[in-house]
Amino acid sequence: MSWRIDLVEGASIAVRSLSAHRLRTVLTTVGVGIGVATLLAIIGITQGLDASFEKQLATLGSTSVYVSKQPWVQLGNWWEFRNRKNLTLAHVDAVRAQCGLCETVTPMVDDNADVAFLGNELSTVVISGASEEWPRVTGFEVSKGRFFTQTDDDNRGLVAVLGADVTDTLFQDLNPIGQTIRIGKKPFTVVGTLARKGKLLDSSQDLRVVIPFRTFTSFFAGRRSYTIGISVKNPDQLDAVEDQLVGILRRIRQTPPERPDDFAINRPEQLASTYQQLTGALYGVALGIGFITLLVGGIGIMNIMLVSVRERTREIGVRRALGARKRTIIIQFMLEAIVVSAVGGALGTVVGLGGAKLLSLVTPLAATVKPLTIVFGISFAALVGLIFGIWPAARAANLDPVEALRQE
Amino acid sequence: MLIELDDIAREYVVGGETVRALAGVSVHIEKGEWIAIIGQSGSGKSTLMNVIGCLDTPTRGTYRLNGKDVSRLSDDALADIRNREIGFIFQNFQLLPRETALANVELPLVYRGVKSKERRERAIEALKKVRLENRMTHKPTELSGGQRQRVAIARALAAEPSLLLADEPTGNLDSATGEEIVRLFEELHQLGHTIVLVTHEPKLAARCPRAVRLSDGLVVGDGPGAQVAYGDARP
Repeated sequence: MSWRIDLVEGASIAVRSLSAHRLRTVLTTVGVGIGVATLLAIIGITQGLDASFEKQLATLGSTSVYVSKQPWVQLGNWWEFRNRKNLTLAHVDAVRAQCGLCETVTPMVDDNADVAFLGNELSTVVISGASEEWPRVTGFEVSKGRFFTQTDDDNRGLVAVLGADVTDTLFQDLNPIGQTIRIGKKPFTVVGTLARKGKLLDSSQDLRVVIPFRTFTSFFAGRRSYTIGISVKNPDQLDAVEDQLVGILRRIRQTPPERPDDFAINRPEQLASTYQQLTGALYGVALGIGFITLLVGGIGIMNIMLVSVRERTREIGVRRALGARKRTIIIQFMLEAIVVSAVGGALGTVVGLGGAKLLSLVTPLAATVKPLTIVFGISFAALVGLIFGIWPAARAANLDPVEALRQE
Repeated sequence: MLIELDDIAREYVVGGETVRALAGVSVHIEKGEWIAIIGQSGSGKSTLMNVIGCLDTPTRGTYRLNGKDVSRLSDDALADIRNREIGFIFQNFQLLPRETALANVELPLVYRGVKSKERRERAIEALKKVRLENRMTHKPTELSGGQRQRVAIARALAAEPSLLLADEPTGNLDSATGEEIVRLFEELHQLGHTIVLVTHEPKLAARCPRAVRLSDGLVVGDGPGAQVAYGDARP
C-alpha cells in the first residue's frame, strides 16, 4: 500500500474520528490554542517593544557620540562614577582642537527650570545649554525661525529655542518668534522652535528650551560636569572616533596608564545592544512560559490520543487483521493528533494576534507581529501534535492484533 | 494445495513458564475444501487459527500458503498476505461500529489500494452475495446479529481471498440465525470457496465435509466431519 493511500485514508479516518468526539476534540484544540495564543502574544509584544525602542533610539542619531562622566547604562559602582573628575570646557576645547574625525563638537549641559509666557507657565522644563552645533549633533531640526549663533553664544545673548511641547503649551496658535518668555525670572527672546522629536523611553524629548552655552553658565551656578556631544560624518568611523576621543581625554585628564577610563563614551547604537542584554532574560522567561503552556497543550493531546487508542483497540485489531500495516495505523493516529493541534494552532494564532493587538490598544505596550511568526505559530503547533502523537500512535501500531481483537 | 502446515509448533512464555499451545501440527488443505477445526478450549485451535490467518507465526515448522512459505515473514508482509489471501469471519463480527455496512465491507479493499469507485462496486457485489443489498447504509447497531454476521461475511468475500477463515461464526447467534449462516457457508462452499471453520461445537463440525480434531496442541483426529466431530475417527 502506498504512502498516498495511507495519508488520504488516514486523514479521512482522522477527521471522522475527531468529528465523532466533538467535545473532546474541541477541548483538546482549545488546549493547544491557548498555548499558541500565549506564545504568539508574547512574541508579538516583545517584537513590538524592540521595534518601538529601536525607533526611539534612532532619534538619537546614528552618527553621534556623547562623552560624559557617567555611562548611560551603569552596571557597577555608581559612587565611583559620581566621584570622577568633571568634564570641563577645557576638555571640550581639547576635543574640538584635536579630534580630526569629529565633524562638530558641542558642550551640553542640562538643568530644570520653570518657563512662562504671559499667564501660561510650564514647570520643570529641561533647559539645555549648548553651542550652535547642537542641532547637528542631536538631530533636532529647527521648524520655525533660527537656531542661535556663535555670536549669541559669545555675547551670552538672552535667546532661546523652544522644544515642540513648550511651543504648543505656551503659544498654542500664536507665533512664538520674537516673543519674550521667562526662564526662571530672566526674560529670553524666542528666536526659533524645534520640530517634534518624540519620546525616548517614555519621557518627552520635546519638553525643553535650548539656550546658548555661555548664557547657561552665567545663569545656572554650580560646578557641573558637561557632556561633549560629537557628530561624525560617517557611522563607519564611530569606532575610530571613539579611539581618538579616548586618547585625547586620557591625555588631558591625565588618567594614569594603569587606570581604566574615568569617563564614558556613550553611543546610541550601543544602547540597543545593552537594552537587548537587559531585556533578553525577561523575554526568555516570557517565552519559557509560552512554551510551557504549549507543552501542557501537547500533553493534553497525548492524553486524549492514549484514551483514543485504548477505546479503539479492537478497531485497530480489525484493521490489522484486514491488512493494515503498522505504518498505516501510525499515520492514522498521527494525523489525528496533527489535525487537532494544527487547528488549535490556527485558532491560537487568531486569538494570540488579536490579544496582542488589543494589549497594544489598551496599554502603552506596542505589538507587531512579523508574518513569519504566524507561520511559525501554526507549524510549531503541528510539530507539538507530531511529537506528542508519536508515542500513542506507536502504541496503537505495536498492539498485537490477536490481543487487540480479543479486547472487549 | 492451498494450505500446507508441517510440524507447526507454537510456544508462549507466560510468567516465566513455557506454554506449548501447538506441539507439532501437520494439516494439508486443498483448494475448495470446507474443513472444521474442532477442539475443547485450550486444545490449541485458536492458536492454529491465528497461524493459518497469518496473525501469528509458528515457533517451529513451516506453513505454506498457496505454495509460498509464510512462516517467517515480516510484519508488513504478513499484513499484505492477510489482506490478499485471508477473509476473516469472527464470532463477535468485529465490524467498525461507526461505519455503514458498505464502508465496513470496503475496508479490506481500502488497504489493498483499490480506487474508491471500484471499491464501492465490489463491496455492493459482496453484499448482494449475502443478500444485504438493501441494508448497505445501515450501521451495525441498526442490524440484527445475523445481518451483522452477513456483513462480516461480505467483508471477507469482498477482497476475494483464497481462504475464508471463520472463528465460531455462529457462537453469538441463536440457533435459527446460526442455521442461516451455516447455509450461507454451504452456498459459498458450492461456489468453490475454501473455508476453514474453527469451532468447539460438534454439531457444527459435523456439517463440514472434513474435520480436524485438536487436543493438547496435537492433531488427534482427521476425517469426514461427522466422524471426527463425534470422536470416532483415527488420524
